[in-house]
Amino acid sequence: MSGSDINRRDFLKFMGLGGVGAATLSGCDMPTTITLEEGKEKVVAYLAPEEYAIPGIGVTFASTCQQCPSGCGVHGRVREGRVLKLEGNPEALNGKGLCQMGQASLQGHYNPDRITQPMARKGGALMPVSWEDAWLLMKEKASGTAQGRSAWFTGTVSGHQSVLLAALNKAWGSKDHYVYEAINNAVGSAVNEAVLGDATPVYRFDKAKAVLSFGADFLGTWVSPVHFSREYGKFRSGDRGVLIQVEPKMTLTGGNADLWVAARPGTEGAVALGIANVLLSENQVDGKQLPQAALDVISQYSVSKVAEISGVPGDTLVRIAGYLKERSPSLVLSGESAHGHTNGYQNAMAAMMLNVLLGNIGQTIEASNSMVFDELKAKQGNSKAMLDFAAAAGAGEYDVVFFMGANPVYTAPAHLAMADKIAKVPFKVALSMFPDETTMSADLVLPLSSPYEEWATSVSPYQPKDAAISMSQPLMKPLSVETRSLGDILLSMLKYQGVKDYETFEDYYAYLRSALDSLPASVKAGKDSDAFWSAAVQKGFIKAPSKPGSLKVSLGELDQGGYQTNGDYPMNLVPSSNQSMYDGRNANLPWLQEAPDQITKIFWDSWVEVHPKTASKLGIKEGDFIRIESDQGVIETQAYIYKGVHVDTVAIPMGRGHEEYGRYAKGNGVNPLKILSPVVDEKSGELATHATRVRISKVGRSEELPRLGGSEVQVGRRLVSTVSADVFRRTEGA
Amino acid sequence: MSLKNILENWSHYRRAHEDGGHHEYEHMWGMAIDLNKCTGCNACSVACYAENNLPTVGKDRMRKGQGLHWLRMERYWDEPDLGGDEKEYQERGGSFLPMMCQQCNAATCEPVCPVAATYHTPDGLNAQVYNRCIGSRYCSNNCPYRLRYFNFYSYYEESWPEPLNMQLNPDLSVRDKGVMEKCTFCIQRIRTGKDAAQREGREVKDGDVVTACAQTCPTEAIVFGDLLDKDAQVTKLWKAQEVELGKTKQDKSNGELRGYRVLEGLNTDPCVMYMDRVREA
Repeated sequence: MSGSDINRRDFLKFMGLGGVGAATLSGCDMPTTITLEEGKEKVVAYLAPEEYAIPGIGVTFASTCQQCPSGCGVHGRVREGRVLKLEGNPEALNGKGLCQMGQASLQGHYNPDRITQPMARKGGALMPVSWEDAWLLMKEKASGTAQGRSAWFTGTVSGHQSVLLAALNKAWGSKDHYVYEAINNAVGSAVNEAVLGDATPVYRFDKAKAVLSFGADFLGTWVSPVHFSREYGKFRSGDRGVLIQVEPKMTLTGGNADLWVAARPGTEGAVALGIANVLLSENQVDGKQLPQAALDVISQYSVSKVAEISGVPGDTLVRIAGYLKERSPSLVLSGESAHGHTNGYQNAMAAMMLNVLLGNIGQTIEASNSMVFDELKAKQGNSKAMLDFAAAAGAGEYDVVFFMGANPVYTAPAHLAMADKIAKVPFKVALSMFPDETTMSADLVLPLSSPYEEWATSVSPYQPKDAAISMSQPLMKPLSVETRSLGDILLSMLKYQGVKDYETFEDYYAYLRSALDSLPASVKAGKDSDAFWSAAVQKGFIKAPSKPGSLKVSLGELDQGGYQTNGDYPMNLVPSSNQSMYDGRNANLPWLQEAPDQITKIFWDSWVEVHPKTASKLGIKEGDFIRIESDQGVIETQAYIYKGVHVDTVAIPMGRGHEEYGRYAKGNGVNPLKILSPVVDEKSGELATHATRVRISKVGRSEELPRLGGSEVQVGRRLVSTVSADVFRRTEGA
Repeated sequence: MSLKNILENWSHYRRAHEDGGHHEYEHMWGMAIDLNKCTGCNACSVACYAENNLPTVGKDRMRKGQGLHWLRMERYWDEPDLGGDEKEYQERGGSFLPMMCQQCNAATCEPVCPVAATYHTPDGLNAQVYNRCIGSRYCSNNCPYRLRYFNFYSYYEESWPEPLNMQLNPDLSVRDKGVMEKCTFCIQRIRTGKDAAQREGREVKDGDVVTACAQTCPTEAIVFGDLLDKDAQVTKLWKAQEVELGKTKQDKSNGELRGYRVLEGLNTDPCVMYMDRVREA
């Protein structure tokens, strides 16, 4: 550009180039499209329409999402040293896309309420302390703990952090590691293990022509929703599969069902037996797959009897059986609304019986490829762990308890008096990113780095095809210099205990490098240490050898308990889990607070779902405040009235109603888990979360619901147009 | 344009977009959204918040309809209306509809802007120039889809308390009060894709540009691309469904094909094609 022909416009362009180029280059030495040297790029002039689009090149790094236990592979886009956006890792075995919780996990990383330094309780309040003081306190209160007087209480853990945790517990002479998840598939896994000999078999939605799900919200919160969503896309293509959902409250999966059936909570097993009865007696399905004892039980569940128990009309049962008979292979699933009862195990067993009867085992339910490295596998959480812990802590069995990745003070029902029981533990340490209820009741708080600031490995509980170890790497420099990764804290504690095997490692990164070096040569495929490490980090996971599994079939007892009624508390309470607030851990993410619930479209607050019949009987209108009372307590929230909840049931979503947990969560909505009755599933010992009875009444106050959109229906406009499946199969079928 | 002229030549104006307008288009960015695969999970909407620096406005402002969800997941129940005397339950589930700016080629929002802040680009996009916008809100009033969003406040003051602001995408600006905004089809990604192609000395090819919503969609229901590119997946989908741009009425050889554009009878000529949801009965 010569000086003679420069005009005002060019001068401005030139200044723009220089300014942006210099600023970007001095920030870091990442490549940028706007440089003086190249000068070839289009300059975005100030008044051009795309003037706000300043192109820069992001660099992508692979990592693993930790926002729920599924552990999907992600790609983080990094510019100027900051991670800006997450995408599903297209190569990951359990993902590709990303759900809204994964997208919003960035707001956990950048959360303004993160804990940025260690805190210790002084004179009743948590006060900032240095790491030196924190370690001194640990030495004083924790390292001399007598054998068996310490415990860990965590969420799902896996990978090498799990290895270190096990080593630490061994060094301390403590075998008590409670792994707790409020949203889990523990009852389903127990039945899978008992019947198939495989707790987490592979579900082939892509091969199924019909899916019958008893409350398994596989598109929302069940097991591995992003992976299942992708498989659902295949299930709905070509010879489009039929989805039937039986549950008391419409989940995201229920909202996508071809046939949504409201059964009285707890009678799912009876419905399954009724369907089996129709299949055997009317659809000529051969019962030789089932043992005689099962056939005897099924014969007692006639259509009319099941209709009476469950409230599901007889012709609906016949219709479901028809779909299953016509469309083979099918897949029958059960989830939390079927599991959370005193007869939860039998409900799951009855659902599994349908798979056996219909010959789905080996077809749409395949053996898992179990990873050979047992020590790395996920320790999956359940709710029995919380009940056991409450009992032990209440009996004063522990001097020291470490909390990590779980918030029992918030999720425990009031009858467990969790806060009081935890208070009985003399020294409580919370390893946490956020000031949640459990963290705020601890005596020492150690600030964790975010999943996008640290090195870690993890193994997803559900491994769809091949077994894999997922890698987490820092996507950027830690936001706070005082936070530490779980791996680093565990390693420091092991060194503190003087465990020899770990003394040589400078930090957790060094340990991970060495641990990956020691993987068998077959995994490393001839690569040297650096090449193998780089490949793993670049790809985001390591394929691991697996033991070929096999499935047996031995059906357990099917007999169902009768449906209990209770005159004082005529309604059932469903504390529903949603792919949004989840178990409450996402309540501090403003994107998810503002994202309307998929079904009710309500944001930033709680609600109670009421059927129109019940509402008109009690004179309830949308937006009225309702009092929901169980034998354990009372909560009040606004009513949303629709036909997606059973007539005898009210549903309140989990996840809001925090007393702590930062500015976005605190004091926002109600927590239905608090008023759960003290009942458990008799076989598995799991908390029967869906077995609480309540009565409801109007408070006498009303307010406009915080809900997206005006009209609930299309009023005749072709906004969402619909065709029948027959037409679809004719025009686009395989 | 006198009233007399409008009335006399009404049928011509109604179908003016069929003449092709005045643009020599370089690209025609468009979408195909399969409602048979969409589950209404809302991942697209949150991905859009993350990509496009959308502020959260809080409960009360959201309730007043001031939320800035460029991509909004709508959910409809089957008629008859709630509490009707038909079936006891919502047996067929819900109907989900992801709605982002439809990038109409005969956009009703464009001619009403008094300052030409919204206009059509050579990429076929309906662009919004923030620093021309004076906030008359005529465009929003004229959008039949209600997909334009107004900054009633300086949301940036409260939306990103430190360090949340570090997540902001530097590829596009944060908007201030008094300005209208809407989905841009991730114009910053389009620009990046075009620059990369130019640097490599080639044409932009299918897959170079993916919008945030399409990239995150767990069921791959959203397909984005250039409708002028014959080999693009989106073009193939439009063709297979016999939906064409610039047509008031689609003449389909097969009346059972699923492709349609929302409220296309209004002649807005949207660049987003939806495919019918499918129900068993």
